[in-house]
Parts: sequence; structure tokens; C-alpha cells
Amino acid sequence: MNYQWNWGVFFETIPSGDVTYLTWIIHGLGWTVAISLCAWIIALSLGSIVGTLRTAQHRGLALIGHAWVEFFRNVPILLQLFLWFFVVPELLPHDLSMWVKQDMPAKEFITSVLALGLFTSARVAEQVRAGIQSLSRGQRNAGLALGFTQTQTYRYVLLPMAFRIIIPPLTSEFMNAFKNSGVAYAVGVWEMVFVSRQMVEETGGQVIESLIVPTVLYIICSYAANLLMGVIERRSHVPGFIVAK
Amino acid sequence: MFSNFDFSVIPPSLPYIWQGLVFSFRLTVTAMLGGIIIGTLLALARLSGGKALGFAAKTYVDLMRSVPLLMMILWFFLLAPFFMKITPETSALITFTLFQAAFYSEIMRAGIQSIPRGQINAGFAIGMSYWQTMGNVVLPQAFRNMVPVLLTQTFILFQDTSLVYAIGATDLLKAADNTGKLYGRTVEMYIFVSLIYFAICFSLSMFVKYMNKRIAIIR
Amino acid sequence: MIQIQNVSKWYGSFQVLTDCTTQVSKGEVVVVCGPSGSGKSTLIKCVNGLEPIEKGSIIVNGTKVNDPATDLPKLRSHVGMVFQHFELFPHMSIIQNLAIGQVKVLGRSQDEAHERGMKLLDRVGIKMHANKYPGELSGGQQQRVAIARALSMDPICMLFDEPTSALDPEMITEVLDVMVELAQEGMTMMVVTHEMGFARKVAHRVIFMDHGQIVEDAPKEEFFGKPHSDRAQQFLSKILNH
Repeated sequence: MNYQWNWGVFFETIPSGDVTYLTWIIHGLGWTVAISLCAWIIALSLGSIVGTLRTAQHRGLALIGHAWVEFFRNVPILLQLFLWFFVVPELLPHDLSMWVKQDMPAKEFITSVLALGLFTSARVAEQVRAGIQSLSRGQRNAGLALGFTQTQTYRYVLLPMAFRIIIPPLTSEFMNAFKNSGVAYAVGVWEMVFVSRQMVEETGGQVIESLIVPTVLYIICSYAANLLMGVIERRSHVPGFIVAK
Repeated sequence: MFSNFDFSVIPPSLPYIWQGLVFSFRLTVTAMLGGIIIGTLLALARLSGGKALGFAAKTYVDLMRSVPLLMMILWFFLLAPFFMKITPETSALITFTLFQAAFYSEIMRAGIQSIPRGQINAGFAIGMSYWQTMGNVVLPQAFRNMVPVLLTQTFILFQDTSLVYAIGATDLLKAADNTGKLYGRTVEMYIFVSLIYFAICFSLSMFVKYMNKRIAIIR
Repeated sequence: MIQIQNVSKWYGSFQVLTDCTTQVSKGEVVVVCGPSGSGKSTLIKCVNGLEPIEKGSIIVNGTKVNDPATDLPKLRSHVGMVFQHFELFPHMSIIQNLAIGQVKVLGRSQDEAHERGMKLLDRVGIKMHANKYPGELSGGQQQRVAIARALSMDPICMLFDEPTSALDPEMITEVLDVMVELAQEGMTMMVVTHEMGFARKVAHRVIFMDHGQIVEDAPKEEFFGKPHSDRAQQFLSKILNH
């Protein structure tokens, strides 16, 4: 093995600008976190709605929920990103299409967030559905018998318990979204995977130096997210109720 | 809506796409089989091994699980040339097997732990050694119980094979991408290949559902 | 108060209720009994529309339950129901369990709802546990809370779906005592139960069901004195001689 170490590379400036590689990686981390969090907001809100729809007693609503999940779950995330980035603009009306292709600000970022958010929403929806279905049928009846409407029964009875039960799987879905955010490199978002690849190229093969910092940052972020969800889980713990793991 | 699309590029590109699909399958099956074997060994190491061995296995699993697959693909592909000559395809096969092993190991560990302690005692009681008990009593049951979960992981694995795009290995997605660029018709190729992925993944998830029901009945 | 006319119900091709007709008048206590699988729980769930019916009609306080135009939530808010497995909301404290319906359905203020809730908890003897969670109480205590929760909505009648069958024997009495007291105050009650002691004490009428049919519907004295049907006689001898 003839690997030339150069740990000083972090403090060299990148060819295309006046920041150091280390600063560039930190910016990459910023984009990674931004994509993951924005996508997670979309995934959690849409996933909750879709998962709830799947348990609705109304056949049509349940079917819409089911179609949503199958649609967004069965195509790889990288390809879904390409579909949003390259294909969808072609399907838009001419003027809008031109605007998206030429003038849309932060197009790469927004497309990545949308693709990752929708992809993850299908998986969140499956967890929400499982959570609701794990509650006894009697709970729904008890809510209805009190005079709650269907919506109120979900709002006050079913969803609060369902979400407590699914905190552990939701945590891992969030981690997946965080890790999947790396695909955004493929449409040119300067997140950590993109920066790592560029850095390997521009430094002429300082592979270890280029990859180690982003890798460690990924590990730290995963660990932090795990801790945070643990805190949320303890905070929302229901006395006398054993949450199934 | 599709007026300026030209889907006539699809037939001539089919042979190449087929090769890509074959590689995607090869990658999936290799990583699944290798991953389950190594994963089971990792799980046994964590559950039974000495402190050092258990710790090493746990560290490995935790590390793989907290780093994106995309990063691991890059690590291996970019570092390997310092030691040997390697094609992107071989690199992908090795990376995926090692990476998936961590995920399969967690599944197998849960499966092994779900087998009642009494089963192990029963194995010992008829004079089997620890490894005999594991191999003949515990693992077969754990494996059968976990088939649906293992398949779900394989479903994720199959979709993740598309990430080898990053190192230029020619899988289904990359093949479509290449032909699309060759004919200047990437949009049509992306749509076409999405349908292929959808058909495969949808069938696979239906199969998992079916297995889930069957296993539920056997229990 | 409750009129059940020629009600039939199917699960797919399986008929669970066949042409059931009966009624509960204001202030009356009616006990429904019968072997398991006889459709008694299904029948009581039809009364407040938790289970749809395919034929016949159910009218509660002048409102037709199986009419698509009926505001079911509004109707249910006047009909108290107690379930076999209590069905308290595990993520809310006891007092919140009693307040939530009053606040969200009846539109009472938090203070008003809490005050009314505490009064009812006092009445069922659980006042000191008001701030605990359902999982921290025994089954008997939970069921008493469930009764209090139903009462907090000021119901015009009460439905009990096997309220004591999930309880350990030593807890059954504490729940039955609350129910007896309620009956003696003149509450209109429809009770699915096997507790014949309760029926003897407070019921006005007893209904016996088997295979989805109402086999016997008689005043208490008549029912316990000499049931008409063989099946009811067999059932009674089984349940009373153990």
C-alpha cells in the first residue's frame, strides 16, 4: 500500500473558492441536515395523514391511502429523485416547465426535499397504520360512544396512543431519511456525499482524509438523533402502560 | 402530455437494460445470502461470544447502521485500488454483502432472542453441545420466524442496489441512464425503468405479505 | 326510550342477529343474557350505532339510529356505554378521561368538567386516584371510572356490555354495587351480563338470547320463576348451579 497521508489537506483552500476544505465539509453538513429535516417534516405530516386514511372506515379514503403508499414505496429513492428532477418538469405546461428548468431558485434543494419527503412519507404511513391497528377496536368504540366524531376519535383517542407506540420505528425511519439524504449529491446539492466525492477528486486521491470527517459526522448525528428520540419517548411515557418494542 | 416523448428508444436498448437488471439481481442475491450468513455469525458472536468478540460484533453492526450505504460504497470503491485491481461491480458485491450483514444480524438476533430459553435447555438436556443446540434447535426456528422480516430487508436491499450508480457499476438504473444518454432520451428511460422497479418491488411486497399470513397460520 | 324492531344483521353471509324485537322504557332496567356467541353484545352495540344493522330499525329517544341522516355523535353523547374491557384512554389521567368528552362534545369549560368529574369520581369511590393513569388502577377501579366517565355526559340511558366479565371475582362486587345504586336511582339501563344476582336484585325484565334470536323476554319474576323455553331453562340451571 502506497498511500500518502496528508492531514493538512483540511486547511487548504478549495480550487473553486476561498474557503478551506474543512469549512466546505461543515457547509455540507448544513445541507445534509437541512434536507433531512425539511424532508422529515413533509414525511411526518403527509405520512400521518396517509397512515390514518388507511385505517379509515370509508373504503375510498382507505384506497387512496393504500395507493399513495404503494406508489412512493416501490421505486428506489435515487430514481424517484431523478423523476422529480428530470421527468416531472417535462410533464408541466410549457411556461411553468420553462420556469422550473431555468429560473426556479434552489431547484436542486427543493426537488431533493420533495423526493425524500414523499418517499419517506410512505414508510411513515405504514408505521402510523400499524400503530393505529395495534390499538384494540374497543378504544375506537369507546371514543365514538362518548359522542366523538370520527375525526375527534382519531384526534383525542387513537392517534395520541398510536404515536407513543411507534416512537421506536419512527426513530429508525428518521435515521433512514437522514442517511438517504445523501442521494441529493446526484442532482448537485452540495451536501456531505457530494463534498466527499469532490474532495477526493480535487485533492488527487486523499481518500481517507476526504471520507473520514463526513463519516464521523454522520455517526455523531445518528447518535444525537437516537438520544433525542429516547428523551421524547421517556417524556411521553404513559404510567402503567408497557409500550411494545 | 407525452407529445414530445419518444418511447421508440426502448426496444433497441432492451438487451443492455436486461444486463443491468441481471446485475441488480446478482447483487441482491449475493448480498442477501452473504449478508444472512455473516449476519447470523455476528448475531451469535453478540449473544454467546466472549466479551471482546461480542463487543467487536456490536461495534461493527452499530458502525454500519449509522453510516449511509452511499458513504460505505465510496469508502470501499475508492480505497480498494490501493490494495488491488477491482471493478465497480466486484466492489459493489463486497460492500453490499458486508453492509447488509449488519442489518441481517440485527434481525437474526431478534429472532434468536424470541426463541424461549426452554428450547435451549431442552437441547442441552438431550446431550447436545452449545453449537449443536444452536444449529439444530434454535437457528432453524429463529430463521423461520424471521422470514418475513428478512424478506422486507431484502426488499430495501433491492432498491438500494440502485445506489451503485455512484461508482458507475452498471445496474438496472445505470444501464437505463447510459442508454438514455446515448439516445438523448433520459426522460423516457427513467419512466420505463421506474415501471420495471415498481413491478418488481410491488410483487416482492405482495410476496412478503403472503409469507406473513402463511407464517401467522403456522404459528 | 329504546325500541328495537325486527332487527337482523349479517357478518358477510353469517347471520348474527335474526329478527330481534324488544324495547326498554324510561326508568326500566333490562338484563340481556345468553351463552357466548348468542349475539347479545352485538345487539347492544347496535343500539348506539357502533355496529350497523341490515334490516329493521332501532329508535332511541325518538331518533332513528339506522338512518343515514342521524347525527350519530350527538345521539351517542346522550347514551352512556360501559365496555367489557373498560376502554379508558391510557394516555390521559383519570380526571382527564372524565373531562375530555364533556369539554370536546358538550362544550363545557375545563373547570366545569373537572368539577363534575370529581363529583362523579367521589360517587364511585375513586376520588383519591383522580390524577393517576388508568394503567395504575385495578380492573375494578378502572371499570368504576368507566361508569363515571359515561355518567359525566349526563346520559338519558346507559348501556353495559358485559361490564364484569373481564374482572377478577373479588372486584365484581364493587362494580355491581355502583350499578345497583344507579338502577335504584331510576336510570334507564340495558345490561348484557351473566350476573343473575344483579338481575334478581334490580332488573325489571330479563331477555334471553341464543343464536342471534331473542328466545325469551319476560318480567324478572316470570323469567326466574319458570322460563318458557328449554334453552333458557338449561342456561339458567348451568349458570345458577355452580
